[in-house]
Amino acid sequence: MIAFGSSISGGEAYRRYAQPGVRLASEPDSVNFAYAAVEPVGRTYNLILDAAAQRDDLEALVLVHPHTEILDPGFCTKVRAALAAEEVGMVGWAGATGVRGIAWWEGEVTCAPAIHRYEEHGGGDIPSLSWTRRGTPPAEVECLDGQLLVLSPWAVRTLRFDEGLLLGHGFDLDFSLQVRAAGRRLMVADLRVAHHRSLELIADLDVWVQAHMQIAEKWSGTLDDGDMDETAWKQRARRAEARREAARTYAVSNALILDARVLELERALAEKTHSPSWRVTAPLRTLNRIRRETADRRRSNGTDPAAGRRRWD
Amino acid sequence: MIAFATATTKPDVYRRCAEPGIARAAEPDSVVRAMPSIGSIFASYNALLDEFSGREDLEALVLIHQDAEIIDPDFCQIIRRALADPEVGLVGCVGAVGVRSIAWWEASVTLASFVNRYQEHGGGDLASFSWEWEEAPAYARTGEVETLDGFVLVVSPWVVRNLRFDESLGQFHGYDLDFCLQVRAAGRRVITADFRAVHHRQLEMLPDPEEWTEAHVKVAEKWDGEMGIGTGHGSWRERALRAEADADAALVLGYMNRLETDARVRELQAALDETTSSISWRLTAPLRRLTHTS
Repeated sequence: MIAFGSSISGGEAYRRYAQPGVRLASEPDSVNFAYAAVEPVGRTYNLILDAAAQRDDLEALVLVHPHTEILDPGFCTKVRAALAAEEVGMVGWAGATGVRGIAWWEGEVTCAPAIHRYEEHGGGDIPSLSWTRRGTPPAEVECLDGQLLVLSPWAVRTLRFDEGLLLGHGFDLDFSLQVRAAGRRLMVADLRVAHHRSLELIADLDVWVQAHMQIAEKWSGTLDDGDMDETAWKQRARRAEARREAARTYAVSNALILDARVLELERALAEKTHSPSWRVTAPLRTLNRIRRETADRRRSNGTDPAAGRRRWD
Repeated sequence: MIAFATATTKPDVYRRCAEPGIARAAEPDSVVRAMPSIGSIFASYNALLDEFSGREDLEALVLIHQDAEIIDPDFCQIIRRALADPEVGLVGCVGAVGVRSIAWWEASVTLASFVNRYQEHGGGDLASFSWEWEEAPAYARTGEVETLDGFVLVVSPWVVRNLRFDESLGQFHGYDLDFCLQVRAAGRRVITADFRAVHHRQLEMLPDPEEWTEAHVKVAEKWDGEMGIGTGHGSWRERALRAEADADAALVLGYMNRLETDARVRELQAALDETTSSISWRLTAPLRRLTHTS
């Protein structure tokens, strides 16, 4: 039996995104462990693991973020194939090798062709992790992304999320490292999903930085070279501080370039929509808009269940 | 005599940017020297210092990047006033205090009287905070600083004759900070003055991050805590972990900006496409052609 589980902090997001995906992917005997979120996320996930571990017929447990929608009708078949080798402890849709911290995407990324669906600026779809180069699955990795994790029965019964990671970031890297430390492998499989989320990848970067340091401390020796003397730490600090300032400068520079690109298009649009010909034909466009809106209203006739509903929690 | 000197790698850029500014600022007896670069900026500027160090009538040597354009016609008067104090060794129009590395812009910038004029995406001007005094923030001021931006460096005769750029540091990055530190270590002052310049440069600020990172480390090691350079809070281990986290956070911020802008670009492009494919746009094409012709 393949079970699904979610830590639900906002019921609306789960209903709109995760639940339809779980329904699409589920088999007749699948069990869904939907739990109200208890902070940190590891605590809720451990409740789910405790419940799932009771099931003798468990083949896999799929942990689904409320904003993640499984789009793959063949999901369970792919999960079984990916977990066929006994040494595989966990499977995901994206992950990386060469991981040095919770920013695992700075490593060599492998990613199924997933979608990042956003609402800002009129909404749209972009490939997930579009900012980095991505290899295609299957591939063995060192860390899996936590928005969807498929745990083997062994992982469910043997390991637990670290509830000491209170800041909400890095639980996926931590659990991935636990799986590997126990001698099991992590695999990225071709699991098709959509992530319904804002373009703001991390809401509070200060908290994220703290979590980054917490994980680096916890896994010193795994994520880095381990025992280092004062001279080695000094060299590492010097290089890290240089890299930090390069990254900050790059971010500012990039923002300037992007702003210039937007400004160019805004100027072009303003030039067109402020022209005399555009103004002269304004009544025609107003008429057209009214005609379209009337037709839309007739079509929906008040029966569209999504009408007026927010897409986000 | 106030001399102006540039190490050129692109003569057309010099003619378009630096030359008009020098023509605007120079006095009848000024010497203007555009020397083809002989390698690193450190070596090129040292060659220019050597060239002018023997001039007994030298009042100041203005080292100016080929893509920097001085705006003030009374530039020479401004820098004479600034150099009237014999303790002043260097003068510029962009400077900062609390500097810990070659990324001096991460410190507390006190004056930034320049415009970044770019050509990408239709071109534009990005005015820095003290370009217009009426709009400048409360912290904008001229006076003593720890470092200057090297795109326009006014060098006193004493500095021309006594100090040299450190050619062991690389090709370009950090030459301005290191030179300012040398001047201050020699007991002279580094100050900003109230002149302005246009920096004709692309928006990309860090085309060679690896080289920049190397220079950052070299300058930090060279000064190793002296005058605040390379200092930080905590043990080396704490500093390393903090900086690694901060660096990844800065990269994430860059990705978020890119996603946000890409979405905005798609939105604007769709609006543009909708506009130019609309019936009313097509109907009024003859009117626009007429307007364009007239």
